[in-house]
Amino acid sequence: MKKLALILVLAACGSGGNASRDALIAAWKTGGLAPSAFTAVKDSPVGKDCQAGTVNSIDVMVCSYATADEAKTAQDLGLKWVGDTTGISRAKGSLLIVAADRKKSDPKGDTINKLVKLAP
Amino acid sequence: MRKTAILIVLASLTAGAAFADDGGNPHHYGRQVRFVGIHPIPRSEGGGMCNIEGPHVHIYAANKLEYRDHDGDNYFVGDPVAYHYDGPKYAYKGPHPIHVDAVVGGEPDTEYCYIEGPHYHYFRPVDDAEFRVAGDAYFYVGTPPQAFIEARPAYIGINATYRPLVYTRPVVEVEAPSGWIGARAEFVTPGVVVETPGVIVEDHRHHGREAVVVGGGGVVGVGASVGVGVTVVAPPPPSISIGIGVGVGVGGGAVIRGGGHEHHDNGRHRGWR
Repeated sequence: MKKLALILVLAACGSGGNASRDALIAAWKTGGLAPSAFTAVKDSPVGKDCQAGTVNSIDVMVCSYATADEAKTAQDLGLKWVGDTTGISRAKGSLLIVAADRKKSDPKGDTINKLVKLAP
Repeated sequence: MRKTAILIVLASLTAGAAFADDGGNPHHYGRQVRFVGIHPIPRSEGGGMCNIEGPHVHIYAANKLEYRDHDGDNYFVGDPVAYHYDGPKYAYKGPHPIHVDAVVGGEPDTEYCYIEGPHYHYFRPVDDAEFRVAGDAYFYVGTPPQAFIEARPAYIGINATYRPLVYTRPVVEVEAPSGWIGARAEFVTPGVVVETPGVIVEDHRHHGREAVVVGGGGVVGVGASVGVGVTVVAPPPPSISIGIGVGVGVGGGAVIRGGGHEHHDNGRHRGWR
């Protein structure tokens, strides 16, 4: 019984990143945004557990970290991923939301603002 | 041991190089310029307002008159309505402090707005004890810190920037509350830029007559704020727009006095007065 509990706890820990990322993407959908499917990013310099996709034509990457402090520390790395365009790199709990408007589809920043405001 | 030290130094340099494109600022990359809070978008970039409330980056610069540094980000301290902002807004008259951290978070940071006439911000004051509300506008009545006074020459030019802008300014027709900053000696600029002879403005604050000549084009120079009791004694020509209100200031929405009568333009005039 103890072993089972331990396995359940470990499993929960292991899926924490995905769970919170899924909740984030679900919140964007509920808030009226249109996220694409998010796929794993291999060898991202921003973090070991990153997934990228688009939200209303904005390039978005969501990285998961073990702690909120780690996510905050990675904000500067996220800005490198943004590059020479309008964007954000914001920690929300243990997640890092990175967004880059490379197609200039969000001239007033409304979509980018919602990415952070809608985050649970 | 020496090898280890060299490796550490090399590792540090490599890590720093990732963000060193602009001289080593570790908080942005390449041509990025950091902003926090909503702000105007330069006309060359499409104009209007950027509605991103938190920290973000663009690849255009922020000017020195309308922005202040807040934790390394550029924070807009101007009037967003001048740039077609249509969200919640609060009317102010005259210079006042802004508690930036209360608006956008971050470290405690007090910056100062030097707009002399009626204007809007998208936030209300935090410290109500320092402000009085009169005519639906906030008037700063606190004691200005030395930093507020000392930085004034560097930022007073914002008035010259806003004066020619055409937009609906708040209408403030009431007497300024006692202690209002616009009536303080440190915030009343005696000099006015003279262009061509035109209207004579009499300053009754002083005994005797101190005439201020305003150019024929109606342009009052930078820092042309006038204190309590100032009236225009000559009727301005139609092209002249002078806004000298009760207790002050240059700015739209103020009472215009000329030729022995007064009228109001409801803030829909061209430029600042």
